[in-house]
Amino acid sequence: MKALRNLMDKMAPVFEEGGALEKLYPLWEAVDVGIYNTNKKTGQAPHIRDSVDIKRVMILVVFALLPLYMFGAINIGVQSSIAQNITRTWNENFLVGFNLIIPIFLVTFITGGFWEVLFASVRKHDVNEGFFVTGFLIPLIVPASIPLWQVAIATSFGVVIGKEIFGGTGYNIFNPALTARAFIFFAYPGAISGDKVWVSGVDGYSGATGLSIPAAVEGGNAKQLLDSFSQFDFSWWNMFIGWIPGSIGETSKILILLSAGFLIFTKVASWRIMIGGVLGLVATAWLTNGLASYSDNTMLSLPAEYHLVMGGFLFGIVFMATDPVSASQTNKGRWIYGILIGVMTIIIRSINPAYPEGTMLAILFLNAFSPLIDYYVIKGNIKKRMARYAK
Amino acid sequence: MTKLRIKKGYNIRIAGLPADEIIVGNAPSHISIQPSTFKSIKPKLLVKEGDSIQLGAPLFFNKNNPKIKWASPGSGTIKSIQFGPRRVIDNIIIELDHVEEKLVGQSFDFESIQSLGAKVVIDRIIDGNLFPMIRQRPFNKIPDPERLPDAIFISGFNTAPLTVNLELALSERLDSFQAGIDALSQLTKGKTYFSLPGESVLSHMNNCEINHISGPHPAGNVGIQIHHISPLKPGKIIWTIDAQHVATIGDLFLTGSYNPELIVTVAGPIVDSPTHIKSRMGSSINSLIYNKLKDGQSRVISGDVLMGVQSSSDGFIGFYDSTITVIPESDEREFLGWLKPGSSQTRYTLTNAFLNNGNQPFSFDSSLNGGIRALVPIDAWENVLPMDIMPIALFRSIIAKDIEEMEQLGIIECDPEDFALCSFACPSKIELSAIIQSGLDMVEAEG
Repeated sequence: MKALRNLMDKMAPVFEEGGALEKLYPLWEAVDVGIYNTNKKTGQAPHIRDSVDIKRVMILVVFALLPLYMFGAINIGVQSSIAQNITRTWNENFLVGFNLIIPIFLVTFITGGFWEVLFASVRKHDVNEGFFVTGFLIPLIVPASIPLWQVAIATSFGVVIGKEIFGGTGYNIFNPALTARAFIFFAYPGAISGDKVWVSGVDGYSGATGLSIPAAVEGGNAKQLLDSFSQFDFSWWNMFIGWIPGSIGETSKILILLSAGFLIFTKVASWRIMIGGVLGLVATAWLTNGLASYSDNTMLSLPAEYHLVMGGFLFGIVFMATDPVSASQTNKGRWIYGILIGVMTIIIRSINPAYPEGTMLAILFLNAFSPLIDYYVIKGNIKKRMARYAK
Repeated sequence: MTKLRIKKGYNIRIAGLPADEIIVGNAPSHISIQPSTFKSIKPKLLVKEGDSIQLGAPLFFNKNNPKIKWASPGSGTIKSIQFGPRRVIDNIIIELDHVEEKLVGQSFDFESIQSLGAKVVIDRIIDGNLFPMIRQRPFNKIPDPERLPDAIFISGFNTAPLTVNLELALSERLDSFQAGIDALSQLTKGKTYFSLPGESVLSHMNNCEINHISGPHPAGNVGIQIHHISPLKPGKIIWTIDAQHVATIGDLFLTGSYNPELIVTVAGPIVDSPTHIKSRMGSSINSLIYNKLKDGQSRVISGDVLMGVQSSSDGFIGFYDSTITVIPESDEREFLGWLKPGSSQTRYTLTNAFLNNGNQPFSFDSSLNGGIRALVPIDAWENVLPMDIMPIALFRSIIAKDIEEMEQLGIIECDPEDFALCSFACPSKIELSAIIQSGLDMVEAEG
């Protein structure tokens, strides 16, 4: 490895100030510190620093996402084999999914990477690691059947409008990956609004998603409708394990819970947001269940434990809502933020007639409100202190 | 007595822990005092190069408050006076004559000290030229002797990495220490607080309120103790003084002269047999680390790794410091280091969770361990700050230079040393401790 280091040290002057390619310095810097740890030193006290940096924080989130990629690849194969009524081995199923995921993944990274380097070069700052996680998240929240050009446009929108125009990672108001998802959702609603399933490999194949089944019927019982649905197995256990059609990474609730444990364990994501979100969702679902007999809206009767394992809620609350930059940044605020995401999700799912799924909109909505929540939490802290000062 | 358990914080497991024994060090040939290290004073020299000086005689005074003078930490001749940019007096170096001729003033019986009254005590400390040992909160600066404090805080234990074990350092100076507390406690109408981690030889001090405070660093910082026991508010002034300096002031009252004795730790990953050394105020670092450094590039710090000032083996120990830390300077660049979740490095966010590497101390070097990024708030600061302060909101108000909001968020209760762990743990490598200092400077300038 010494030879590589020597070669890179020889190349460095080309990109440094006065070199032929000095405009590309941010790209060079990203490659350089990507291959070798930085050699920056402390200039003032404290003279030693913990070895956690943003790169390591981001790579931990990516580690948490990798099992979802594995499961997603296999599940794509499984769903398409069910649709086509053929039997495949696990390996074959995995390869079917793998061949579909890789192009989406590459398109996401090439598009997003291009924008990151462009903005870093123009602004003359280091290329941020933030896109690393965004790039891993975007393929997981789109269906495998999505056209690649939509991925490219959505990624561009998410990175540029969701993040870069605010100043880049650390300054964004909305979660960039969710912004990308929202863009496809509103720009191409026919393809991705969540009332038709996505199964790849079969033309013209269609079926209802779990959440759209009760939404489409008036005056029924949601749980019975799901249990008696024959095209897919929408039993609670099967949805918990994740062998259902859906976006690539969001179907397996048990794996998401394991990843959530990992993120909490490594202190990368806030458990307050996750627990708050689940509490908000369960409490609101109980409320709607209580109201179900007064209305012919079938969604109101969907039990809380079904809400938890259906749609993208768990994935959203674990990976999207906990984005530390766009979430609330005070601990009290994080509880409020999480709980309100749960509440909003149920409201959109049950009461809004247009969209069967509400997690994405709930999170984006609360992203917009998190500075306001923090404002009042900080005001509370100030008020307490002022009362003590006045004594 | 209050018993407090501080939960937030972190003890950095850095290698080179000083042994719990005191050895007598090499007598330094030169000592120094560095006027530029004192904040918000205007030093004016009372000596010139070549003058001979007694131990305890004044070297310079503060032009803003001419009563406050600085004692010479030894007797000998003024070897050189070094100036920095804009004629700032950087360093006054004294060549010791080893005669130790002392400036001797009034002394008192042990029993009579506790009934001297505030005026006599403060005048004696000022006359002994030791008043600069006292610092005030807020702003951690030398106080105005006319405005007596609302309380006095003395921390009886250090929690910062590789610092002096005060129980060990003071065990032979208990009478001086008690005399120091007796004298200082008369300066305030409020209480004199003395904090300890638990029962020890220091538990039987009189004329002070003893509080038991346990927990990881920064529990031993006086700022954290003030925050939990008698918090600051606008208009309130608290004086603090290092425990070893309390004993020095006690000696001033008992003997009438300046006893410059100081127990110093010399420690760090590349120090051979790190230990406590019996040395003196302003000692040359060379006399302390002589023959104790292992091979390799090193960074010599006067003070602990979290708050010390970079010095060199030609330098001198700072006025308020009692630790010399030496860490390796490393240029090594680890290949694909960021991919490893478990290298041998202890990393704060993960250490409390997994990949603990047992309790093995780690040879930290001067690497920043990452690039500077925008704030990504994953609670790295909050987890090591045991104060009811919102660090992110405070950080933003300082960046925005919003003095009113800084004050509302409690900046006067803060001190950079209490935020040093935040800088240490920050994944974005934000210099929060230095930023808090700049905020305090703005508030102080505003008045």
